[in-house]
Amino acid sequence: MNITPTAIAGLGMTQLGKVYGRTPAEFAVEAVTRAAADAGLALADIDGLLVNPGVNNDTDLRLQSTLQLRDLRLLTTIQGFGSSAIQMVQYASMAISAGMANVVACVYADAPLKEGRGSGAAYAGGNRPLTGVEALPAAAGLKSAPARYAIAARRHMETYGTTSEQLGAVAVAARAWAAMNPLAQMREPITIDDHQNSRMIADPLRLLDCCLVSNGAIAIIVTSAERAADLAQPPVHIWGWGQAHPGYTSYRDSNFGLVSGAAQSGPAALRMAGVTVDEIDIREIYDCFTYTTLLTLEDYGFCAKGEGGEFVASGALAPGGSHPTNTGGGELSSYYMWGMTPLSEAVIQARGQGGQRQVAKNDLIMVSGNGGVLDFHATLIVSPHAKTR
Amino acid sequence: MTVTPVVRDDYSAPFFDGAARGELMLRYSPSRGTWSPPEARLCVTTHAADLEWRAASGEGTLVSWTVIPGRSRDGTPVPDTIVGIVETAEGPWLTLRIVNADEVPPAVDRPVRVEFVHPDNSEAVPVARLVASP
Repeated sequence: MNITPTAIAGLGMTQLGKVYGRTPAEFAVEAVTRAAADAGLALADIDGLLVNPGVNNDTDLRLQSTLQLRDLRLLTTIQGFGSSAIQMVQYASMAISAGMANVVACVYADAPLKEGRGSGAAYAGGNRPLTGVEALPAAAGLKSAPARYAIAARRHMETYGTTSEQLGAVAVAARAWAAMNPLAQMREPITIDDHQNSRMIADPLRLLDCCLVSNGAIAIIVTSAERAADLAQPPVHIWGWGQAHPGYTSYRDSNFGLVSGAAQSGPAALRMAGVTVDEIDIREIYDCFTYTTLLTLEDYGFCAKGEGGEFVASGALAPGGSHPTNTGGGELSSYYMWGMTPLSEAVIQARGQGGQRQVAKNDLIMVSGNGGVLDFHATLIVSPHAKTR
Repeated sequence: MTVTPVVRDDYSAPFFDGAARGELMLRYSPSRGTWSPPEARLCVTTHAADLEWRAASGEGTLVSWTVIPGRSRDGTPVPDTIVGIVETAEGPWLTLRIVNADEVPPAVDRPVRVEFVHPDNSEAVPVARLVASP
């Protein structure tokens, strides 16, 4: 199949974190405007808009009007939760390849944090009455994302012997990268002891196993690689992609907690890119929890299944390690913009704009997106170089 | 132990009628002889559409679990919440409150018996009781 080469030409980020008093749409307008300016484009050059609403689904197609965009040829919302950002890049690339659009803005915006309320409340789901058999897990007490992921992590730990200290190594590495990222919300270095002493949220997941919650927006501009070459920023070329949504069955022999969609999505992206996993220089992994990083690295093939604990505890992920991973601090320590967190850092690293944290060898960067409780997965492989294979 | 109240809808009425009788109702395909979890509209293993409610054994084993620490409110201790995935003897998984983890420690493949509690203003809700190994 012939696909017109595409590239990410613009990146726009608002202030991220505990930023109050602004709606998701207001954040989105700023992010898209910044992304266009970053690329050296006018808003009027945008002819496609893909919108990923956040957890409250309160950003939608009306964003076209808010942005005063005219005559769009592509406009829709994408909701794959944490996999959405990469999905948007994929659909934008296909639309560009098919001649449907030339310049597509992809934006995620959300403002779940409310002043005076804890971050846990942002994703708690409110006090809706529980109805029907679908509500039985919530009735049992399984109401939060940490609790749902904790059951998955526990299964991995019981099956493969993964330990809490090994999960802690993921958090420590992420924080070491965040310490060099001026955009990161949490920059104070931490140790394994800090991880072990952080309060239990849902056993086996501690506070430092859990991602941040942030308000804000991030947008990117996707266009043809040919056009991107003439724009303001170094193009971030898109080499390969994949998606995999396992549809776990609640039934005997389910591999829930042990294998994620990354096991299919990753190899698909590598095949499309024409590269092997050993050639990947940088990993930007969706890290809603430390366990998610570990599982995704296993499923992508950076280590054998079940050996993720030893792999991450070796120091491989940290600055100076053999497998630089989540080089901006990830969702654990930097900012939580769903799939835009790993994607934005991939763009920064591919451009060579990482400053103190820039990884010297950045030829191939693998990016993951994960949504639901390991239900949705998307992978992207990007490079500063035009695709040659 | 506090289980959040649940109300029925048309689909779940047979499940909660069974729960009120102390029976765990699962979905069953007569044409395929296969079982599916309560929320299944199609068989999870065959896609068969002829699912009906049928009483299951109420026996199972523990697959995985989490312990959510209780946080004291106004100085009043709140007990931990233990929730686990139970694989029923018929195959379907259920996510249930574990009611006796203080007596029998949770462990993979630990035998489980499904019981029912009756919260105020709620349908009867299934919970899991861990069974000590003989």
